[in-house]
Amino acid sequence: MNPNVSTPAGAPAVFDPMTLPSDDNVNAYTFCVELKGSQWFLQKGKMIAYYGRMEFNGIGHGRLDRLVRTSFHSPLHASDWVVAEGQGKMLLADRAFDVNSYDLDEGNLTIRSGNLLAFQPTLALKQSIVPGFLTLIGTGKFVAASNGPVVFMEPPIRVDPQALVGWADCPSPCHHYDHGYLTGVIGGVRALTGIGGTSGEEHQFEFVGAGTVLLQSTEALLPEQASGEVPRQAGVPGAGSAPGGAGQQSGAPRLPGQLGDLQRRFGL
Amino acid sequence: MPFREINSKMVEATVQPGAKIFSQRGAMLAYKGDVSFTPNIQGGQGGLMSMIGRRAAGEATPLMTVDGAGTVLFGHGGHHIQVITLAGDTLYVEADRLLAFDGTLQQGTMFMGSQGGVMGMVRGQVSGQGLFTTTLKGHGAVAVMAHGGVVEVPITPQRPVHVDPQAYVAHHGDIRNRLSTALGWRDMVGRGSGEAFQLELSGAGSVYVQASEEKL
Repeated sequence: MNPNVSTPAGAPAVFDPMTLPSDDNVNAYTFCVELKGSQWFLQKGKMIAYYGRMEFNGIGHGRLDRLVRTSFHSPLHASDWVVAEGQGKMLLADRAFDVNSYDLDEGNLTIRSGNLLAFQPTLALKQSIVPGFLTLIGTGKFVAASNGPVVFMEPPIRVDPQALVGWADCPSPCHHYDHGYLTGVIGGVRALTGIGGTSGEEHQFEFVGAGTVLLQSTEALLPEQASGEVPRQAGVPGAGSAPGGAGQQSGAPRLPGQLGDLQRRFGL
Repeated sequence: MPFREINSKMVEATVQPGAKIFSQRGAMLAYKGDVSFTPNIQGGQGGLMSMIGRRAAGEATPLMTVDGAGTVLFGHGGHHIQVITLAGDTLYVEADRLLAFDGTLQQGTMFMGSQGGVMGMVRGQVSGQGLFTTTLKGHGAVAVMAHGGVVEVPITPQRPVHVDPQAYVAHHGDIRNRLSTALGWRDMVGRGSGEAFQLELSGAGSVYVQASEEKL
């Protein structure tokens, strides 16, 4: 991975503060951030080691108020994030998931909240309208984890919700329902009796327009990080049943693979 | 060749009109174009009798058929994926390891006891295959899942291969397999090496081994 380090074949590379890369991957699973008096936001528990003098302060720390005001716009998410500052190099990793850094140049990128490890304060973090996702806006670098390497695709594309890591520059996705096999005589019997089960692929996120969609190569998810609830307010998606809002959602949880909900959805 | 490996955990399949692909349900990651996914009641190919056979043998995995025109990305559970191309020979694999396979392949169920009688059944128990295993025969490609990376070990008549039953994924070709035991008094007193059972494969073909002893 690192061309500066020459090792005998097969031997693991030994790093010291000088040979560790600066703001680059050490290997596929570890990322090294160099701090020169600068600051980085990172999610709690993702730092595995560091060299040098560094301070990790929670978002509530009084001295950081100004920084938080300019680049952290997810107040209810604050308890999951810390700010690292000082001199030295720190290593970030997340349960042997693949780690990569991405550069944004006056751009925007939306990412699943559990996949984001760290970002530079030159970027502004905001909550996406899509629940469970965070949007980064501005210029700078951020580090994200994914289960398996990230694959970049261009719209139009339909993505399984679990395989979606994020998207850049394209409009927010919409829901797409495949229910072709539930129509017709056989489909009707299937929908009414549940014989044959469901394909598990009735629901996708559909992306259209120009941009890039980031996929992870598996459906195993990183655990969802509480990205903070959005204010309970009419017109805000994901806010639950807003006062005076639509009340047709029943409170009963739906088991995966259960057809009842689909039937209702397709008016069968 | 409908499967293209994008990385170690993801394959891309090209779907053309008239050509079907079978895949495990829920294993689709993304798709482009006009593709439809239909849950397959029969759990694969053949008629009603094949379905009953699979149900009885416990080799019925939830499959769906993928057809239309476009490209589909497959992956499942963070498992590594190995694409195996068959040229007329038979692949022996557990049904729950199948991620996707060509509709042109013939799917069947094999009784472990038919290869080596009682010892075959014991072998099935040890390697976690159970009493039955799935066979795929013909010309086409199969995407198989494994925990950890997959190594293909060629088998030649002069050089039989010993495989840890837990690390065994699949094999194809003209292979005879045998369970070899190295049980000694140490195993009886609980001081064994932990490698008392091995699968010995001999003949001509290849066996796929995963870099993990964890089952799917």
